[in-house]
Amino acid sequence: MTDILRLSIPLTAWLVAFSAVYGLQGVVCSERWAEAGLDLAAGRVALTMAWAAAAALQVACLLALRSPRLASRSAFVRRASLTLGITALVATLWTLLPVVATSLCL
Amino acid sequence: MLAGCAESLSTVHPEGPAAGAIATLWWVMLAGATAIFLFVMVLLLLAFRRGEGPSGPDADSRRERVWIQSLGLGFSITILAALTAYGLFVGERLRPRPGPDVVTVRAEGRQWQWSFGYADAPGRATEGILHIPAGRPVDVEITSSDVIHSFWVPRLAGKLDAIPGHVNVLRIEADAPGDYAGLGAEFNGRDYAKHRFTVRAHDETAWNAFLRGETP
Amino acid sequence: MNALRRHRALERIWAPRPGWRGKLTTVNNNDIGLMFLFLAVTFFVIGGILAMLIRAQLATPRSVFMEPGIYNQVFTMHGVIMMFLFAIPLFEGLTVYLLPKMLGTRDLAFPRLSAFGFWCYAFGGSLLIFSLLAGIAPDGGWFMYPPLSSTLGSPGINPDFWLLGITFVEISAISASVEIVVTVLLYRAPGMSLDKLPIFAWYMLVVAMMILTGFPPLILGSLLLELERAFGMPFFQADAGGDSILWQHLFWLFGHPEVYIIFLPAAGVVSTVLPVMARTTLLGYGWIVTAAISLGVLSFGIWVHHMYATGIPHMGLAFFSAASTLVAVPTGVQIFAWIGTLWKGRPEMHMPMLWILGFFATFVMGGLTGVMVAVVPFDWQAHDTYFVVAHLHYVLVGGFVFPMLAGLYYWLPHFTGRKRYFKLGTTAFWLVFLGFHGTFLLLHWAGLLGMRRRIDSIESGSGWELISLLASIGGFVMAIGFALVLIDVGVAVAVAVRGRRNPWRAGTLEWAMPAPSPSYNLASIPEVRSRNPLHDDPDLPVRIARGEGYLGDPASGLREILTVEIASGRPTSLVIFPTNTALPIVMAFVTGGIFVGMLIKAYWLVPLSLAGVAMLAIWWAWSLGSRKDQGLRPVGHGLVLPLASEVKRPPGWWGSLFLLLANGVFFGSLLFGYAFLWTVAPNWPPPAWLEPGLPGPLLALGGAALALGGIRLADRTLRRGTGPWLGLLAGLTGLAALGGAGVTVLTGTTPDAHAYDATLWVVAGYVVFHAALAGLMTVFLALRAAGGYLSSRRIGAARVVRLWTDYAVAAALLGLGAAWVPGVLT
Repeated sequence: MTDILRLSIPLTAWLVAFSAVYGLQGVVCSERWAEAGLDLAAGRVALTMAWAAAAALQVACLLALRSPRLASRSAFVRRASLTLGITALVATLWTLLPVVATSLCL
Repeated sequence: MLAGCAESLSTVHPEGPAAGAIATLWWVMLAGATAIFLFVMVLLLLAFRRGEGPSGPDADSRRERVWIQSLGLGFSITILAALTAYGLFVGERLRPRPGPDVVTVRAEGRQWQWSFGYADAPGRATEGILHIPAGRPVDVEITSSDVIHSFWVPRLAGKLDAIPGHVNVLRIEADAPGDYAGLGAEFNGRDYAKHRFTVRAHDETAWNAFLRGETP
Repeated sequence: MNALRRHRALERIWAPRPGWRGKLTTVNNNDIGLMFLFLAVTFFVIGGILAMLIRAQLATPRSVFMEPGIYNQVFTMHGVIMMFLFAIPLFEGLTVYLLPKMLGTRDLAFPRLSAFGFWCYAFGGSLLIFSLLAGIAPDGGWFMYPPLSSTLGSPGINPDFWLLGITFVEISAISASVEIVVTVLLYRAPGMSLDKLPIFAWYMLVVAMMILTGFPPLILGSLLLELERAFGMPFFQADAGGDSILWQHLFWLFGHPEVYIIFLPAAGVVSTVLPVMARTTLLGYGWIVTAAISLGVLSFGIWVHHMYATGIPHMGLAFFSAASTLVAVPTGVQIFAWIGTLWKGRPEMHMPMLWILGFFATFVMGGLTGVMVAVVPFDWQAHDTYFVVAHLHYVLVGGFVFPMLAGLYYWLPHFTGRKRYFKLGTTAFWLVFLGFHGTFLLLHWAGLLGMRRRIDSIESGSGWELISLLASIGGFVMAIGFALVLIDVGVAVAVAVRGRRNPWRAGTLEWAMPAPSPSYNLASIPEVRSRNPLHDDPDLPVRIARGEGYLGDPASGLREILTVEIASGRPTSLVIFPTNTALPIVMAFVTGGIFVGMLIKAYWLVPLSLAGVAMLAIWWAWSLGSRKDQGLRPVGHGLVLPLASEVKRPPGWWGSLFLLLANGVFFGSLLFGYAFLWTVAPNWPPPAWLEPGLPGPLLALGGAALALGGIRLADRTLRRGTGPWLGLLAGLTGLAALGGAGVTVLTGTTPDAHAYDATLWVVAGYVVFHAALAGLMTVFLALRAAGGYLSSRRIGAARVVRLWTDYAVAAALLGLGAAWVPGVLT
C-alpha cells in the first residue's frame, strides 16, 4: 500500500494546492477580502506566496521519493513515482503561473 | 443559402475587435491542428509499411527516447505551452478595463426576452434591441431575472452568462454602425430557439439622439 | 483427479442455479459481467434511437415533428442514457467479466456486492426509461442546470427522475469501483507484483479511484437539488443566499473526470489489444502507467473549463486553461507510445486493428478540438454551440465506442469460443466510420456559424441548413452500420464453428482458460513471473487445467480464492466466497424504496426502506465468519495461509477504507459548498448566525473522546481474549452524544429560510446519520461477540467498526466545527 501512496501523493498534493490557490483567488476577489481590510495588492502577494509554497512542497516530495530511507524497494515504483513527482512539479509551476501573469479580478 | 443572412451569426465573419481577435486565434489553431493531425496520421500509416524493427532492451530504450520523450513529451509540451500563452494573451486583451470612452449598458435576460437599460440615459429601457455607439468600447452589465441565460453577439464578441443574483460584465465593440444579430446562448426551456435580440450600433450623432430620447 | 473431473467439481461449486432463477441469485462475475454488457448495449440502442429522432427533426426546417416539450425530453435523455446508462456500465461489464481473469483470480472481491450493483443499475435505469415512455422524462439538458431544473423552471416531476434515478444507478458505479480497487490490490495470481500487472488492470485501478472521488460531488449536488425541490431548501436560489453556480461547480467536479473515466478504460483496451495486433509488447509500459495516473489526477483540476462563460475572473479561468492544455500531454504520450509500438512490431490488419485505426483518426481530431476549446477566448465563441457537440462526439465515439468495438472483436473468441462467421464486420466498420464523420465533421463549422446546441429546429436562411441535412444523412448511415455490427456479433455468437482457444496468441492470463470461460475461471491459480505468462510458458493452460497451480483441489466444496500482498504479489490469505443468494436483488429492490418514496412524495417510504436496508445489511454481514478460529489452511504447493477473516486487515476492511474515501469526498464537497456560498453567493450574511451554545460543543467533544476510546478499548480486550462489553458501551454512548450534538444544530436552524441554514441542516444531518450508522455497527459487533464470532484472531469486524467510528468522529468535529465557527467569530 505504501507503494500505491508513493505513486499517488505527488499529483494529489498538486490537486490540493491547485484547488487551494483557486479558492484563495475566489476569496481575494470577493467582498470578504475587502471586509477584512485587505486590498488586491495584498491578494497578489498572498497568491504568489501560496504558489511558492506549493512548488516547495513538490520539491520536498521529490527529495523524499529519492531519499534512500523513503524510496521504494521496487525499481519500477521508484522510476514511476519520480516521473510522477516531476510531473506534479511541472504541473504546479505551469498551472499556477497565472498568479503572476494575468489580471487579478477582472 | 443567402450569403448575408447566413453570416449574421457567424463567429468567423467578425465585425468587432474582440470577435476579430478570436477569429484570428481560430484560424491559427485550425492550421496548427490540421498540420499535427496529418503528421500523426502519416506516422501511423508508415507503421504498416515498415518491417519489424530491431528488438532488445537497447532498441526499446532508443524507441522510448524518440516516441515517448521527444514526441510524446517534448513536442506536446512545446506546442501546448505556446498555445496557452497565446490564448491567455488574447484573453487579457479582451478584459473590460476602465477607460475614458467606455459606455455602460445593462442587459437583463428572462424567459424568453431581453430588456436593456442605459447608464447614460437612466429610465430609458428597450426590449429586444440593444442600442450602442459604434467604434467605442461598451460594457454590458448582464443579469437574469429567472433562470440562467447567456448574452451572445457572435460577430462582435464571445458570450457571457446571465446568472440570477450576479452581474457579469462583457466588453463588446462594433467597428461600424449597423444591426448585429444577438442570441440567448444558454438553454432555457421551451422557446430557447427563439430567444434572440438585436444590437444596433449608431454613429455619434445618432447615438446622442438616442440618448436624448429623440429616436425609439 | 484428472482435468475433466476437476472441471466438473469446480463447476458444481461455482455455477449459478439453473434457469432464470439463476440470473436473479447469481453472484458470479461471469454472469454479472454479461448482464451489465447486455443491458448497456440495450441502452445504447435506445439512446441511438433518440439520436435518430433528433437528426430527423433537424434534417430540414420542414421536418419538425416533435414539439419543443417532447424534443427537450428526447435530447436530454439521449445524453443521460449514453453517459450514465451506456458508457459506464459497458466498461463495468467488460471489467467485471475480464479483470479477474487477467489478474489470475476467480472472481471480484465482493461477489454479492457485484450483484447488488447490477440490480441497482437495472432498477434505476428502468425508472428513467419509464419516465421516457410516460412522457415525463427530464428535459433540462443532461447537466440539468438550476434554476431551470429547480422548482422555478421545472415545477413538474421530470427532473426528479434524473436526480433520484441517476443517484440510484450511481450506487452501482460506486460499488463496482470499491470492488475493482480491492480486487486489483489484493486478488491476483501469486508473483504478480505491481510491475507485472496487466496494463488494463492499471488503467482500471486508476478509473475506479476516479469514480470513487469523482461521483460524490454529483451525488451531493443531486441530493441538494432534490432537497431544494422537495422541501424548499434554497441551495441554488440567489435571493435566499444560494447560488446556481454552486450546482455547476459540483456537477463539473464530477463531469470532467467522468469523461476521462469513460476514456481511460478504452485506452486500456487499446494498450492491451494493439500490441497483440502488432505481434509485440507495449512500448513504454512504465511511461503508460504514469501517463494513466497523471491523466487520472490532472483531470480533477480542469472542471471550470465548462464554466468559462459564467463570469469567473480571468485569473481563475487561466488556471484551468493551463491545466486543460497540460492534460493533453499524458494523452499525447499514450498516442505516441502506441504508434511507437506499431513501429516496433509487425501490425496485422484484423477487425480489432481496423477499429483501432478508426479510433486514432477520430480521437486525435477530437483531442485537437478539445485543446482548442481549452483556450479561453475561443471557448467564449464556441461554448454552447454545435462546435462543442461535434467535439464531444469525436472524443466519446472515437475515444470510447471505437476502442470498445475493437475490444469486442478481440475478446469475442474468448466470450464465445467460436470463429467469426460473416465478414459483415468490415462493411459495418466503414458504414459507422464514414457515417460518423459525415454526421459530425461539418457540425464543427455549423457551430462557428452560430448554430447553438439544444435548439429544437433549424430556420431557413440560417447558414447551416445544408450541413444539418448532411449530418442527418450521415447519422442514418452510422445507425445502419451499428445495426450491422449487432447482426455480425449476434450471428457469430449463435452460429459460428468452434475456434482455437487463443487465436491472437496473446500473452495475458485470460487466454489461459477454456473458451467460453467456466464459472470458476481458473482450475488452479498459476504462479506468475512476467507480464505475459502465456508467452513464458505456452503450456500454461494445460498445467492450470491439470491442477498444477494453487487451489487445484476442489475437495473442500467451497469457493476458494487467494489474496496477495499489494506490492510484491506474495500470497497472504485464503478467502472463502459466499454462494448464490437472492439477498442482492432483494436489497436493491428495498433500496429502490428510498428513491421511489422521494419521487412520488410518499415520504414515509423513505425511513421504512432505510430500516429495511439496515436489517438486510445485518443479515448480509451475519452470514460471514465462523464461531471458532480455523487456523492455517493448505492452498497447494505445501503453502499454508490463514483465512482472510483471521488476518489483521481483511478484504472487508479495505472495502470500507475505499468506501470511506468516497464518503470523505462527498463530505468535503459539502464543506466546499458551504465555503463557496459564504464567499461568492449574493445575499450573505444570513439574517442570523447559529449560536453554538454550550450543550452542543460539550456533547461533541465528550462524545468524540468516548467513541474513539471505546472502540479501541474493545479492540484491546478482544486481543487479550476477554469480552469487549465496556468498550462497546462506551463507544455507543460516545456516538449517541455525537448524534445529540448534531441534533442541537438541526433544531437550531430553519432549513428553508436561507442557504446558510439549509447547509448547516445537511451538515448536521450527515453527522447524525454517521453517528447512527457507527452506532448500529457497534451494536452489531456486540451481538457478534455474544454469538462467539469474535476472538483475538477473528478481529476484522472490530477493525471495520473502528474505521467507521473514527470517520463519524472526524465528520462530527469538522462539520459541527464549521457550523459553529461563524457564530463564535461574529
